[in-house]
Amino acid sequence: MGALSIRNVKKSYGDTHILKGIDIEIDKGQFLILVGPSGCGKSTLLNMIAGLDDITSGEIAIGERVVNKLSPKDRDIAMVFQSYALYPNMTVRKNIAFGLDIRKVPKAEQDEIIGRVAKTLQIEHLLDRKPQQLSGGQRQRVAMGRALARNPSLFLFDEPLSNLDAKLRVEVRSEIKQLHQRLGTTIVYVTHDQIEAMTLGDRIAVMKDGEVKQFGTPQQIYDEPANMYVAGFIGSPPMNFIPCTLAEIDGRAAVTVDSGSGSHTLRLGPLSEAQRAFVGKSIVLGIRPEQLTDPASAHSDNPDLQEFDAIAEILEPTGPDTLVTLKLNGARAVARCHPSMALHTGVKMHLALDPSKAVMFDPATENRLA
Amino acid sequence: MADRNFSVGRTLIYAALVLMAVWYLAPLYVMLTTSLKSLDEIHSGNLLSLPHHFSLDAWFDAWGTDCVGSEDCTGAGMKGYFVNSLKMMVPAVLISTLIGAFNGYILSMWRFKGSDTFFMALLIGTFLPFQVVILPMAQVLAKLGIENSTGRLVLVHVVYGLQFTTLFFRNYYVTVPGELVKAARIDGAGFFRIFFKILLPLSIPTIMVCLIWQVTQIWNDFLFGVVFSSGEAQPITVGLNNLVNTSTGVKHYNVDMAAAIIAAIPTLFVYAVGSKYFVRGLTAGAVKG
Repeated sequence: MGALSIRNVKKSYGDTHILKGIDIEIDKGQFLILVGPSGCGKSTLLNMIAGLDDITSGEIAIGERVVNKLSPKDRDIAMVFQSYALYPNMTVRKNIAFGLDIRKVPKAEQDEIIGRVAKTLQIEHLLDRKPQQLSGGQRQRVAMGRALARNPSLFLFDEPLSNLDAKLRVEVRSEIKQLHQRLGTTIVYVTHDQIEAMTLGDRIAVMKDGEVKQFGTPQQIYDEPANMYVAGFIGSPPMNFIPCTLAEIDGRAAVTVDSGSGSHTLRLGPLSEAQRAFVGKSIVLGIRPEQLTDPASAHSDNPDLQEFDAIAEILEPTGPDTLVTLKLNGARAVARCHPSMALHTGVKMHLALDPSKAVMFDPATENRLA
Repeated sequence: MADRNFSVGRTLIYAALVLMAVWYLAPLYVMLTTSLKSLDEIHSGNLLSLPHHFSLDAWFDAWGTDCVGSEDCTGAGMKGYFVNSLKMMVPAVLISTLIGAFNGYILSMWRFKGSDTFFMALLIGTFLPFQVVILPMAQVLAKLGIENSTGRLVLVHVVYGLQFTTLFFRNYYVTVPGELVKAARIDGAGFFRIFFKILLPLSIPTIMVCLIWQVTQIWNDFLFGVVFSSGEAQPITVGLNNLVNTSTGVKHYNVDMAAAIIAAIPTLFVYAVGSKYFVRGLTAGAVKG
C-alpha cells in the first residue's frame, strides 16, 4: 500500500470523458509528476486527489484510507496553486495561520510552526507584509509556507512555476527539489513543462487525452519511451522520427537513409523478437539529437559509430552546441554539433550516429518495438 | 505653436462646459435663494435675484410645523417624513446589500445546476419597470398580512433591490480567482467562513457601489412610497409631493423650496462622500492586479 493509490479512476461530464481510467501507485516520500499538454486531464486528476472535484468511478487512497468521500480538509493534504491563491486582505503571517486557526491549533504552537516554516523558506522578513507587497517569487514561497505549515501526508502542486519568469523558475524549481530532499515529503506535481518533469520527478506519468501514456522513472521514460507520443514529448529538442524500412544484416538491424547527399545504410543493434517481425516492413526510427553529432565530438572509441554525410539546412546556435537541421528520408532531423563544426548552411557536413540508443516504432500503433 | 492652455478649441470647450453647468445648476440656485427669502420678497422680486433679507423662517416651517395637505393646521412637518424615509431606507439598504452579496457569492463560487438560468431570470427583473410590480406586490403584501407601512416599504425595496445588488456582487465575484476559494476549502474553511473572512473584506468597493445605488434608489422612490404606505408613515417623497400640491390658500414657495432641499440632502451627501468609491467600485476587477 503506497502513499497514494489511484485505482481505475474515471471522470466524465455527461458524455464527455475527461479521464478514462487512471492507475498510479507511489510510495511515501516519492515525487510524482503528472505531465502533458493542456487538456490532457492532469489538473482534473489533481483536483480529484485534493477532493475539490468528485470522482465518477474508481478509487483514490491516501495512505491506507480511501478518500473518495472525504472533503478536502479531511484528506490531510496541502496544495500550492499556479496563481498562489494567497488571501489578499491578510498579512503573510495570517495567511499561514488561517488553516491552523480553523483546526484550533493553540496560539503558542501556531507561532512556533510559523517561525519554523518562515525560516525554512526564508520569508521571516515578510511575515507582516500583505501579498500585494510581495514579488512573484516571494508570493510563491509564502504559498509553499502555507502548505508546509499544515504538515500533511501529501503535497499537491498545480503548475506552481508557470507564472514566474524564466530565471526565477529555475531558482524556485531547485528550491522545491531541495525541500523535497530535506523533508522527504510525498509530492504530486502537475506541469506541462517536460524539463520540470525530468529534473524534479522520481516518477513521471505522461498523460494525453485522459490516459496515462507511460508511467516510470525519468530515465526509463527518456531511454525507453513506450510510444511515439512519449518519445516526442520528453526531451528538447524532440526525438527525430525517421520513416524507413527495416532490414537485417548479419543478424542485426539495419536501415537505409537518404540524407540528401546519398543513401547510407546504418547498422543498428541486435534485433529483438518484436523487431524481427517487422523486417522488410516500414518502421519509424527514433534518434535523439544528441546521438547525431559531428565525428570529432562523438565518442570515437565506440565501435558501432556510423558515419555519413548530410546537407545542413538550418543552423541554430544555442551556446554549448549548434542544432543542425537536416533531412533524412525526407523527414526533418536535428543533430547536436559542436559550434565550430557547424558554421554554414547549405554545406555538406560529416556526421556520426551513435545507434545504441536508437528506438523503433510501429508506424500504425505508434508503440515502441521493444 | 499655440500654448496648450490657451488654444481656441480649449476655450470653446470650457465655455460650453461652464454654460451647461450654469444651466444645470440654475434651478438649484433658484431653490436656495427662494428658500431664504420672505414671501413678500418672492412676490415682488425677480426669480433670479439674491435675497435682500436672509431669513431662515421657511426652513423652520418646512422642518417642523408647516401645514401639509390642509390649511390652518399645525401638523408635523418634513421632520416626520424624513424620519419615516430613514426608518425605511436604512434596513432596506443593509438587508438588500447583504443578501445581494450572499447571492453573488453563491452564483459565482458555488455554481449549481440551473444557477445560470436562475441568474438570467434575476437579470430580467432589472429590466422590469416599477409599475409592472405594483399589482402583484400589493396582492402578496395582502396575503402576507403586513399592515405596517414601514415594514411594507422595507420588504418591497429589499425584493426589488435584490436583482441589482445580486448583479453587482456576482459581476465582481466572478473576477475573483476561483483558486482562492479552493485554497480556503483545503485549509478547512466552510461556506460561511469563506464568505465572511475572505470574500467580504475584498468587496469593499462593490459594497460602496451597492450602498450608493440603493440609497439613491430607495430614498428617491415615489411610486412604491405612494402606493404602499399611508398617512403619517409616508416617506419624504410623498410628503413633499403633498406639501407642494396643496392649492388652498397662499402658496408658501419658500417653504416648498426648503422642504425640497431637505428631501434632497441625503442623496446629495451620499454622492459627495461616495462618488469616487462608486467609480472605483464599478471598475474594480477590470484590470488584473
